[in-house]
Amino acid sequence: MDFTLTRQQEMLRETVHQFAESELSPKAIELDETGEFPFDILKRCAEMGLVGIITPREYGGTGMGHLARVIVIEEISRVYPPLGFFFQTGHLGQWSVQEYGTEEQKKKYLPPLCKGEMIMCDAITEASGGSNPAACQTTAQLVGDEFVINGRKVYITLAGVADVALILAKTDDKFNEILVEKGTAGFEIVRRENISGFRTTPVNEMAFTNCRVPKSNLVGQEGKGLSIGLAAVSMLGRTGVAGIGLGIARGCYEAALNFAKERKLYGKPIGELQAIQFALAEMNMDIEATKWVSYYSAWQIDQGKGIREVGADIARAKFLACELANRVAPRAMQIMGAYGLSEEYHMTRLLRDALHLFPAAGTQEIMKITIGRSILA
Amino acid sequence: MALEIIVCIKQVPNPGDFSRISLDPVTRTITREGIPAVVNPVDKNALEEGFRIRERYSGKVAVLTMGPPQARQALEEALAMGADEAFLLCDTAFAEADTLATAYSLACNIRSMGHFDLILCGKETADSGTGQVGPQLAEFLGIPCVTNVREIAFKGEMSLVVKQALERGYMRVRVGLPALITVNKEINQPRLVTAFGIMEAAEKEIREQCCKDVDADPHCIGRIGSPTEVLEPIDLPRRKKGEIITGLPEEAVKRAVERMRELGGPDLMQ
Repeated sequence: MDFTLTRQQEMLRETVHQFAESELSPKAIELDETGEFPFDILKRCAEMGLVGIITPREYGGTGMGHLARVIVIEEISRVYPPLGFFFQTGHLGQWSVQEYGTEEQKKKYLPPLCKGEMIMCDAITEASGGSNPAACQTTAQLVGDEFVINGRKVYITLAGVADVALILAKTDDKFNEILVEKGTAGFEIVRRENISGFRTTPVNEMAFTNCRVPKSNLVGQEGKGLSIGLAAVSMLGRTGVAGIGLGIARGCYEAALNFAKERKLYGKPIGELQAIQFALAEMNMDIEATKWVSYYSAWQIDQGKGIREVGADIARAKFLACELANRVAPRAMQIMGAYGLSEEYHMTRLLRDALHLFPAAGTQEIMKITIGRSILA
Repeated sequence: MALEIIVCIKQVPNPGDFSRISLDPVTRTITREGIPAVVNPVDKNALEEGFRIRERYSGKVAVLTMGPPQARQALEEALAMGADEAFLLCDTAFAEADTLATAYSLACNIRSMGHFDLILCGKETADSGTGQVGPQLAEFLGIPCVTNVREIAFKGEMSLVVKQALERGYMRVRVGLPALITVNKEINQPRLVTAFGIMEAAEKEIREQCCKDVDADPHCIGRIGSPTEVLEPIDLPRRKKGEIITGLPEEAVKRAVERMRELGGPDLMQ
């Protein structure tokens, strides 16, 4: 067994760490307060090759793979999770096009996505619930050479800033994934949800009313839409959540660790108190264990394994990393006492973001169902 | 004009972990075990300046280091930052070199590379901080040298006007090419490695050269070629770590003043 990261992955971690510290950290509080999507930071991430981390070089990416992607998301989320959430969600449609799209679609969408000149959202969830995408009621009737789309999508991350949406819709009794560009007649963003975390990554409701798009906007084979959408959410979405959870946990733990070294009580740093040491040790163990489960799941995708082979491993990673972030964040806050409650110390912001990991890319209950089915099969 | 630029770098223990460094009384060297190695920070400024000159005037940036096989990592990072080619001077015969033997060995390597216009180095290393290798290297190559430079500008095609930082102010120096310049941290902000750079670096070759490859005199390299002798390493008491006062500015200032009073400092509130 070889647990070492490649030299490329190590260098990537180091440079994203530096980027997060020098360019994200100073802006984190202000970004969260304004709630505006940071297009300039997206552009900078694109210049660094991070947006195209999973996309082949021939389409403008770097092709460093899924483990590299988790490392990027982890290092970014350690400082500013909403940007990690951008990668977690923004890559769903990008990956679907690069895996299942036509050559024409790949050439049209992937290079501008990698350059940060275009944003794509992935629209699956409807009011009927995100856990059962098969209950999708949005329709895409084939009329001549066009799909005519009608329906609504809810809780769609990035929809408000996206230039193009990849939507799941039903054509008769078959599911299809279809690209709909911003500005297409009959397509509108209805509202932005007022959510407590991930404040700069908009979550919106979308409406389609007799929205006509060419048949050539179909991604993948006709009727394969549900499996493409689920593969994207399961593989990219859940490994992405694992990266965000790891990052949030590390951000909180490292802040508490530094605080414990510097904060003096009874004439000595509080880190010398056993109660604090135990808390830090437990957080440290928790993070290390979850890290390896998460890396292993992403590494398997890099080895060419598909959703059937690696789905349960990814579900474990998503479940554990989500629990990790939500366990470590409040505990780190406790170590920091009243300072932990101050926005200036970032803990409250990170905790707000951590809460959003529970429903993201499948609830914790769906993860257990996936794992349960796998072990009982 | 297309310039041939050579940047000399060194791999050093991470300055962020210097508190973990100890001195070995037997070998009289610093113990680096368990401390991650990084590119000497100011050498990144030298690389950045090389890239900026290349971007402005075209040409090529070659990066050179002398060290054990793991020094390859420093070259990989330099390639990922944007260097065109890399040379690793690696041979057990080079081990335990002082600054003079190091400069001689680097000079042999540079001569073997052929034509060059400009050599850039960091002004000193974070681990030993002598600042000697740059000037000694220039001496071996018989070219002019300006140290501690914070700005480089071209005057015509073959001469530079540089700002050399002094204790108070700076001195403007005109120097003809080829020349060697050592730079300080004020000269620029080194670029971050990108994922594109990392992938491109993986396709670039690092040329490893031994003592024979560069035609070095065995008597002038490594320990034999090093006149410096460490008589006794002295571990000086570390400076007391500063106290960081956190919180809102108004409260932090009050607390800082209180602490200064407690420590017997002047009463700033009067």
